[in-house]
This record gives sequence, structure tokens and C-alpha cells, in this order.
Amino acid sequence: MSGIRPVGQNISNQLQKSEKKSDGGEFGRLLDETIGKVASVQKEAEEAVRSLAKGGDVASAMIAMEKADLSFEIMLEVRNKLVSAYEEIMRMQV
Amino acid sequence: MDYFRIFDASASGMLAQKIRMNAIASNLANIETTRTETGEPYRRKDVVFASVVMDALREGSLEGVKVVDVVDDPSPFKVVYDPGHPDADENGFVRLPNINVIEEMINMIMASRVYEANVNAFNISKNMLMKALEIGR
Repeated sequence: MSGIRPVGQNISNQLQKSEKKSDGGEFGRLLDETIGKVASVQKEAEEAVRSLAKGGDVASAMIAMEKADLSFEIMLEVRNKLVSAYEEIMRMQV
Repeated sequence: MDYFRIFDASASGMLAQKIRMNAIASNLANIETTRTETGEPYRRKDVVFASVVMDALREGSLEGVKVVDVVDDPSPFKVVYDPGHPDADENGFVRLPNINVIEEMINMIMASRVYEANVNAFNISKNMLMKALEIGR
């Protein structure tokens, strides 16, 4: 008999747990990190373009810009997947 | 990111070939230079490449390239009989730089082609990355 617990209590416990997680969730942290990395790569590209104006190497500036472009592309892809998953959930029949 | 190291390796190749092109350009520019700061005619410049490990921690280590030194070619100068030349010695011989135009042209073609190859390696690895983003689309 002692193993039987009211159903509602269990669910509210789980809800509390998930609420605690959401304010620093694994996925949010990952996205944060990715965006930070993209920002730093873009800063590098900006630096390279600035040094190009001062007579720097053309190839390294181009490569820095390509890196910024590609890392942005990757981040965009992650964001697109995230949004499509969100939309999928919103369309769910209740 | 993994692909970015490949880009760095290609970039190091491009930079190295650019420095090699500097040496070739100065060789061609000074093909008949008889006076330098050392008092000798101009000596042919050559570059020395060395590999740089860009990513030793992972398997299949990636190595870039670096120009570690620009050296003078020690081969003897060309000697031409030209008594009217202001730098001719008492016997009328002039020492000219030890540069062979054909050799420089071949080196130039090599530098240009290797540069192109590095650009292609960059573009193809970029295409591979873009293709990877298309997975599941």
C-alpha cells in the first residue's frame, strides 16, 4: 500500500523539475555557445577586412570571411531545425 | 570547427606560395643587377618550406606549410665579357646575377598552379561542408 501515491503529486513534481531545467537548459546553452562562436568568427573576419584595408593579405581576409559565412550558415541551419520542431509541436492536435 | 582547420591548411599553402612569388618577382626584377649593399651582384633568392602540424591531437593529423627561411642561392655568378660596362673588372669581365630566366618562369608557373590547387582544395572542402548541411533537407 505504501508504494501507491496520488497521481497528481507525481506530475507536479515532474513539472517543477522541468521548470528548473528550462532556465538554463542544455539546448539553450548549446545554442548560446554556438552563437558566441559565430560572433567570434565574425569578429575575426571584421579584423581581417580591416587589416586588408591597411595592406594585409587578400587570401587570409577572404578565408576569414568564408569562415564567418559558413559558421553563420551552420548556426542558421540549427535555428531552422529548432523553429521547425517548435512549429511541429504548435500544430499538434490537443 | 573541424572543416576550419582544413581551411587554415589551405590558407597556409596560399600564403607560402605568395611568399615564394615575392622571391621570384625580385629575382626577375634584379636579373641584371650588378650592385647590391654587399658589393656583389644580386644573388638569386629561394624560399625554404617547412610543414607545420595544425592539429596533432586528432587522428589523421593535418599539416600546413610555412616559409621558414629565404636563402641566397650559392651557385656561381654568370661571367660575361663586356669591357664597356662600368662594373667590369680589369680584364673586362662583368659578374651578373646567378639567375636563369627559364628556371624562374618554371618556378612561377609552379607557384601559380600550387596556389590554384590550394584555392581548389579550399573550395572543395567548403562544398563538402555545404553538402553536409543539406543532409535531411
